Amino acid sequence: MARALLVENAGVWRPFRGSNKTIVRTYPMKSTKIGIVLFVLVLVGIGFFAHLSSRQEEKKKMKEVLGKGSYLVSLLSMHSLMDFQGDRRDFLLRTLAEYTSYEALGYFFVQDLDGAFLVSLAPGEISSEIPQEVGTKSFYTMGLIEQSFSRKGAQDKIYEFAKPIFENGQKTGVVRLGMKAPSVPLFSLERISLLALIAFIVFAAITFGYYGIILSLRPIRTLNQDMVQTYLNQNMFYEQNMKSNNIGTIMENLDKFLKHIKDKIIRIESDNTELISRLGLITFEKNQIINILDSINFGVVITDTQDNVGHVNGYLLRLLGKEKRDLIDRPLTEVLPYDDILAFLSQPQTAGAETSSRQMESMLPDVAPGDVYQCSYSYLADSDGVPLGKMILLKKVTADKLAEKAREEFVAHIAHELLTPLTNIKSYSEMLMDGEVDDSEMQKEFFNTINDETNRLTSLIRNLLNLSKMEMGNLTLNRGLVRTDWFVEDCIGAIEASARDKNITISTRLPDNYPSLLADKELLKVALINILGNALKYTPENGSITFSLSEEDNAVIFEVTDTGYGISEQDLPHIFDKFYRSTNAQITAQVGSGLGLAITSEIVQLHDGEIEVQSTLGQGTHFTIRLPKEEFSIAGA
Amino acid sequence: MQAPKKILVIDDEAYIRRVIELKLSKRGYEVITASNGREGLELIATKMPDAVITDVMMPEMDGRTLCERTDGLKRERPFLTVIITCRILPEERDWLVHMHDTLFMEKPFSPSRLAQCIDQYFNDPMRRQQASWS
Repeated sequence: MARALLVENAGVWRPFRGSNKTIVRTYPMKSTKIGIVLFVLVLVGIGFFAHLSSRQEEKKKMKEVLGKGSYLVSLLSMHSLMDFQGDRRDFLLRTLAEYTSYEALGYFFVQDLDGAFLVSLAPGEISSEIPQEVGTKSFYTMGLIEQSFSRKGAQDKIYEFAKPIFENGQKTGVVRLGMKAPSVPLFSLERISLLALIAFIVFAAITFGYYGIILSLRPIRTLNQDMVQTYLNQNMFYEQNMKSNNIGTIMENLDKFLKHIKDKIIRIESDNTELISRLGLITFEKNQIINILDSINFGVVITDTQDNVGHVNGYLLRLLGKEKRDLIDRPLTEVLPYDDILAFLSQPQTAGAETSSRQMESMLPDVAPGDVYQCSYSYLADSDGVPLGKMILLKKVTADKLAEKAREEFVAHIAHELLTPLTNIKSYSEMLMDGEVDDSEMQKEFFNTINDETNRLTSLIRNLLNLSKMEMGNLTLNRGLVRTDWFVEDCIGAIEASARDKNITISTRLPDNYPSLLADKELLKVALINILGNALKYTPENGSITFSLSEEDNAVIFEVTDTGYGISEQDLPHIFDKFYRSTNAQITAQVGSGLGLAITSEIVQLHDGEIEVQSTLGQGTHFTIRLPKEEFSIAGA
Repeated sequence: MQAPKKILVIDDEAYIRRVIELKLSKRGYEVITASNGREGLELIATKMPDAVITDVMMPEMDGRTLCERTDGLKRERPFLTVIITCRILPEERDWLVHMHDTLFMEKPFSPSRLAQCIDQYFNDPMRRQQASWS
């Protein structure tokens, strides 16, 4: 008989492995066993009832014997001794015979006071088997007594009844009667029908009882089957005799099952705890992601596969001026009602494009007029690649667009500014080389132009280099002690010749004691020459320029005043912007790169100074540069 | 004797106006000048030049606006436009293809080459549309 293995290792139920999951059915003896048990039970029952009934009958007969014995003794003791002698005793013996049978009568004695036996009826050796004390007790009795004894070697009991005989007020003798206890056979012919009835009742009772029990135990059997089935389903180990439906196995199974369930509950509880903590973690992470989405400065919309909105981040809510609850679960067409964006988002999904993202630029005229937004989206999918929807990003790129435009303009401007003097140099030299200019005065003019344009190009390149250094943050000050008297001379020297050509007067207002200054002399010269050069450029002929130097408690002040065209109110806020040039015809008539004042302002700021400008159109312009002195006193100390 | 062809030079750079004026007048052209697009536009209307040489980056009105505004006039009275500029990005040249009788010349340019182009245009009017885009 195959036996499945039961393995219990450190309290862990190991699932039963292997191919012998099939159950070997073993009930060959079952019905026979039940039959035998039933048969035995019936026999025992019959025996029990037969015994009971025979005992009952025995008792009844005993009572009869006892009654008869007492009666006979009493009846016979009423006679006188004389009646037991001679012919008269026949009558008494007939009476005795009338009332007793051979089987019932043990013996019969009549004794006189001397102990002599007047009558002695005792078959076989029975008289010698009567115990001494029984005879003595009976002989001396004064009333009816009843005694019993068992004969040696015989099963039946003998009951002796004795009663004295009284004559003329005197005891004259004693009558003793021995009666055999009646024996009732267990099975007798006259009781067979009763026994059959009993047997039937017992059989019926047992059968009904058996099936009643089976019936009432059916739930337990079902329970066992369920348990076994659960065992098999759970691939737990299984012992083939577990299928047996006897109570012991069921209880064993139940015990195992309960243990197993207990283990399982413990495991589930610990799993549950873990799940709760993981759920907490996931919730936390989800909130973190929402916080991150809300804190980024572009719009995020997450949609499902039906293009219904699942999430809108804080940036976009603020931009649209809507509440989250108004947008969640709404179709995308309501949340972003812009035809170009919707058309872009509903492009047919091309193969392999799930993870790629595309982008377009759009305006949201109703919520953010004038701003440009870059819209991009990507498809969302779970780890199995099942599409979940889209993530749509809206990024404000107005500044980027402006910066890009500015960069393009910057490059174009630089190219223009560099190529203009180059063009002049090239074309003028070509004219000279081709011999197109024969007049010597004109030749001189052409050579001068080439020279001027070379200088212009050089200065432009220097300014560009300075500008580039400033942009990169690499423009460092090479500070030293600046003698302001020499410095003023140098600056005026740089413009003197051109001023003379335009007949412009340069006057100076200088202090008696020149202050000293800690500064980068070369850069500061660039700054001031840019201002002086502008004054010269934008002041018509016969005008005047005033350059003054003064000192305050903690500052050295340079001022440049001209009687030029002035700066219009529109231009004034922009004069320090790179490449800004006025559209005023008087200004544009002059060569300029739009870089000078930007560089000047930067240099002044690097010196922690301030630059101010006041101007009246048609009257002139007044620049003030204020440089702090403190650093000198620190350096001089 | 045919009247000299009239050429308008528009540039905010006086030096450039000067050198082109000198080069072309030596070739027998009548040269008039303007320092910005607005002035140029007026002169095109009033003086009806046979050719216009213009810069692109100019104050008041730039060369592109000028060209776009005058292109329609060429249907009635064709004239050559030579654009001299340093703007070199291809996408910034796109508008040029829509202009009629227009040449493009990059800075720094050669005055001789400019003069040759103009000569060629006037000597072979059939080549107007096919004028080389140097």
